[in-house]
Amino acid sequence: MRPLPDGAARTLERAWAGWRPDRHSHGNLGRPFDFSFPVQQHWGAKVAFYLYLGGTGAGFVFVELLLRWWGIIDARTAAIGMWIGLALAVLSALAIFDHLGPVSRWSAYFAFRRIRTSWISRGVTMLVALLVLRLVLAVPSLPGLDALPWTEGTALGDALRALVLVVALAFMVYTGLVISSWNAIAFWNTPLLPVLFTAFSLLGGLAALPAIAWLASGALAMEAVGAAVWPAVLALLAADAILLGLYVYGMSTATPPARASVAMLVRGPLRPRFVTGVVTFGLLIPAAIGGLWMLGALAGGGLGGVALLGAIAAIEIGGYFLRDAVLRAGVYGPPV
Amino acid sequence: MTRLGFVVDLERCVGCQGCVIACKAEHGTPRGVHWMRVLEREVGTFPNVRRTFTPVRCNHCANAPCIEACPTGAIVKRPDGIVLVNDRVCVGTMACLTACPYYIPVRYDGGDGYFGETLTPYEEETSARFREGTAQKCTFCVHRIDAGRPPACVEACPADALSYGDLDDPESEINQLLHRRRHFRPREELGTDPSVYYLVGKGGGGV
Repeated sequence: MRPLPDGAARTLERAWAGWRPDRHSHGNLGRPFDFSFPVQQHWGAKVAFYLYLGGTGAGFVFVELLLRWWGIIDARTAAIGMWIGLALAVLSALAIFDHLGPVSRWSAYFAFRRIRTSWISRGVTMLVALLVLRLVLAVPSLPGLDALPWTEGTALGDALRALVLVVALAFMVYTGLVISSWNAIAFWNTPLLPVLFTAFSLLGGLAALPAIAWLASGALAMEAVGAAVWPAVLALLAADAILLGLYVYGMSTATPPARASVAMLVRGPLRPRFVTGVVTFGLLIPAAIGGLWMLGALAGGGLGGVALLGAIAAIEIGGYFLRDAVLRAGVYGPPV
Repeated sequence: MTRLGFVVDLERCVGCQGCVIACKAEHGTPRGVHWMRVLEREVGTFPNVRRTFTPVRCNHCANAPCIEACPTGAIVKRPDGIVLVNDRVCVGTMACLTACPYYIPVRYDGGDGYFGETLTPYEEETSARFREGTAQKCTFCVHRIDAGRPPACVEACPADALSYGDLDDPESEINQLLHRRRHFRPREELGTDPSVYYLVGKGGGGV
């Protein structure tokens, strides 16, 4: 990578030194009176949780709905997947509203006011729509309500299911769009980011299906669902690795602030989160375990199942650290 | 139409921070909140070094990304182009800061005064004007503008490096300056259409 210019080099030095802004205000980035490329410090863990939980929750809903539609998983597994997905979505909403409303938590409803221009407004609206639509779709599965006109197999049911799939996919894309739509931070301002976040959201949802099958019907069901979905999970892992590599390499050849962001990830203070969290936990460990499991090397006793659960957990950890690392690596350009 | 804007003469700015103090005195902004800043930078290598000074503040952009990003609609633009934060509606999402390529807005989070936990009478008086947890930024001294007076920073600048006026009026003082001098706008390539111009020239003005 080319050497960083002065401003970006100072950014890296300060990040290493653990420099923090004045605690009396939020947003005086860098030392307020000198000229450097400041690191954004206001979108941190809560937003990372929002993007991860929301994206993965939408991934859960998307995958359980689609695979149930195709008959790959049973109704019980799909139902548990739906509840877990919706629970993740609710948790993500709590995280974002906690972040959005420090003056008064009850003012958070303001977040819905500007869907024509603000991606945050669009996101929380989509999230609520996803929750409501998926619950409406689930109503006919309740005892005594199976006569409703949108039960499984009806035209209205299929239309509603397709709508939920579209909203879930849109929300996964949104988790990247919300930060890539602003050109203030070069590292985020790329169309590759929504694709990357969508791919990781799908991975988080799809990979967890065997664990849900285990919860629903036990170890045998986990093996069966695992055998059905893990080839796709391995393909997604490979695709995610390629996308991540393209993203990081592309940014390493871009503007100085984007290069400073990459430097923070690969040799700066974010290296543990990126290399260990995203690359090792999120990609390498699950790929190795999943590959061995697919080859049958881990079969026998409960070892295969435990290893598979470990791989799923590693994917989820990697999914969180991806959002966290990308957010924390946001570096502004010079103001003038 | 009127579109108010600033012109900053980088050749004239001597880095005295007079505009920063004038802004603080005018608005009583709390500790850690600076609506006006003068960025300093050393350029060159010894013995050929010099120091540059760049006053920065909200650029009151025509295509303000903060207005688009704000989910609550707390940031509004007046017909004369001044961009203001309504702290009754702002809930401190900091979307404006994330979207602003100049990282101008800050969120006031309360806390100590300049002399510790106990606020001075002046700080008690002025801090009451700021709602905790809301975004803060330059108001173009809108109260002065409405009263026909120049912004505090412009009035205080001893080197006459700051000017303001109507960018849509070809006869205005700032348009005359822009007609005569080389100039640029900050991060213009990002499409924000900022209302602040920097004058540069052979005397060494630059960023």
